[in-house]
Amino acid sequence: MKKMWKGNHAIGEAAMRAGCQFYAGYPITPQTEVGEYLSWRMPELGRTFLQAENEMSAMYMIFGAYACGMRSMTSSSGPGFSLKQEGISYMCANNYPAVLVNVQRWGPGLGTLDSSQTDYLRDTRCGGNGDCRVIVLTPNSIQETIDLIYIAFDLAEKYRNPVEILSEAALGQMMEAVEFPEFKERTEDLGWTWDGTDRDHGRLANPDKPGATKAKYERIEANEQRYETYQVEDADYVFVAFGLPSRTAKNAVDILRAQGEKVGLIRPITVWPFPYKAFAEVNKDVKGFISVESTDAGQLIEDVALAAKKLRFNVPVYGQFTNQHIPKAKEVVKFYEQVKAGQIKEVF
Amino acid sequence: MELVFAGFGGQGVLTSGMIVAEMALEEGKTVTWMPTYGPAMRGGKAYSVVKYTDGVIGGPDIEESDVLVAMNGPSLEYAAYLKEGGTLIINSDEVADDLTVEGNFNIVRVPCMELAMKANNPKAANIVAIGALIKKCGLFDADLARKVLKQIFVNKGKEKFTAANEEAFNAGFDYVQ
Repeated sequence: MKKMWKGNHAIGEAAMRAGCQFYAGYPITPQTEVGEYLSWRMPELGRTFLQAENEMSAMYMIFGAYACGMRSMTSSSGPGFSLKQEGISYMCANNYPAVLVNVQRWGPGLGTLDSSQTDYLRDTRCGGNGDCRVIVLTPNSIQETIDLIYIAFDLAEKYRNPVEILSEAALGQMMEAVEFPEFKERTEDLGWTWDGTDRDHGRLANPDKPGATKAKYERIEANEQRYETYQVEDADYVFVAFGLPSRTAKNAVDILRAQGEKVGLIRPITVWPFPYKAFAEVNKDVKGFISVESTDAGQLIEDVALAAKKLRFNVPVYGQFTNQHIPKAKEVVKFYEQVKAGQIKEVF
Repeated sequence: MELVFAGFGGQGVLTSGMIVAEMALEEGKTVTWMPTYGPAMRGGKAYSVVKYTDGVIGGPDIEESDVLVAMNGPSLEYAAYLKEGGTLIINSDEVADDLTVEGNFNIVRVPCMELAMKANNPKAANIVAIGALIKKCGLFDADLARKVLKQIFVNKGKEKFTAANEEAFNAGFDYVQ
């Protein structure tokens, strides 16, 4: 039977079901309940929970644990994730898997506790130095958060690459009725981990093998694009939104369709790799794309514009940026009406 | 159905929402509950939003509410999102009787704190408000509501409060005609 679960608690339990053996983190709102939950749940299951002295230490503890092959996870919010970037970059350089959870708050610096998506560009481009990428999954419900964490460790180990769950304050704090999958455990040896023998722990991203990383990223881009499309085949205008704004944008599609407007929605589930494949399903005569996002200046819109370019749509790309709040369905409908009336200038 | 429970931190407005969310789940509905609060543990503005439906829920935050439960004066700002003809339950122990609200709403003033005191459960003004809400709007069968209310506190290991909470619920329920 489905039960009401808070998003952040569900993140913790989903990681347990997925076989996470080690967690290290540091408290920060709106993510703190992840650690709070795991601080009692992991000892109960005979696993290791550690509250580190800071975010960076937590990151390097994950690095060490995964070097030895333990399924490991850390979580934080925007400012804490900035501190982790160095470690993420080092994990990418060593081709180490990891599962990272970012429950986003709004804004630069300390920001606020409001729900937003303002870490999009940093996280999809990997904020650390070097030319690295992290697979970024964006759930739009608590059930999907669970389902994505359940596969995140498998993905991370398959590609030897960090995987991030990009959540939002409201998604971490809210409750929905959910079901959990069964407990699973990886029993096989990963083959490369530090096990006390002198087997090859060789790095792929080393100067002797230039291009190996690019080849890996190309494999990920080819195989791991995840998305949902909704009524895009005959649409004159297509909204693009992920996470919580995708839910209100979908409501807006239903409202507008009932009024006879031909609109649709692309919902990226991976934002890196960005789901270009979704755009191939769109009506060839589409008149424009509208990025709907909880950012100040527009971030997702850059990928929407690149996708339009890649798929050879020579049409305007508009952006509705609602700052510190989830766009309301009514606001999305109103924005669309303004776009259609020619009152909004395109961004790209 | 969209309900907003608003007040200051410590008045139990997050718990109120959670209790009503559990009742909706017991009815077999799709449910969301979302809290909002500032950095302060007590005294700051806080609200929770509950949405339930037979279908799929969009955004979890306030959009167009059917009900606002205002536990203090500042909470009346959320009446701006209340639908025409929506229900507004006001905790009259915190909000002056002569305070008017713009709009065409079904307004019920309930002395939640006074009724909670009379029920020997002074912390349960929020549960009094739930009783009043359920009587006024007929959201759920009263016995289902009492059953869920009891179960929530049993599950939390707070069984000793179940009788007092039911009394608070009944005080609010019976106050509304």
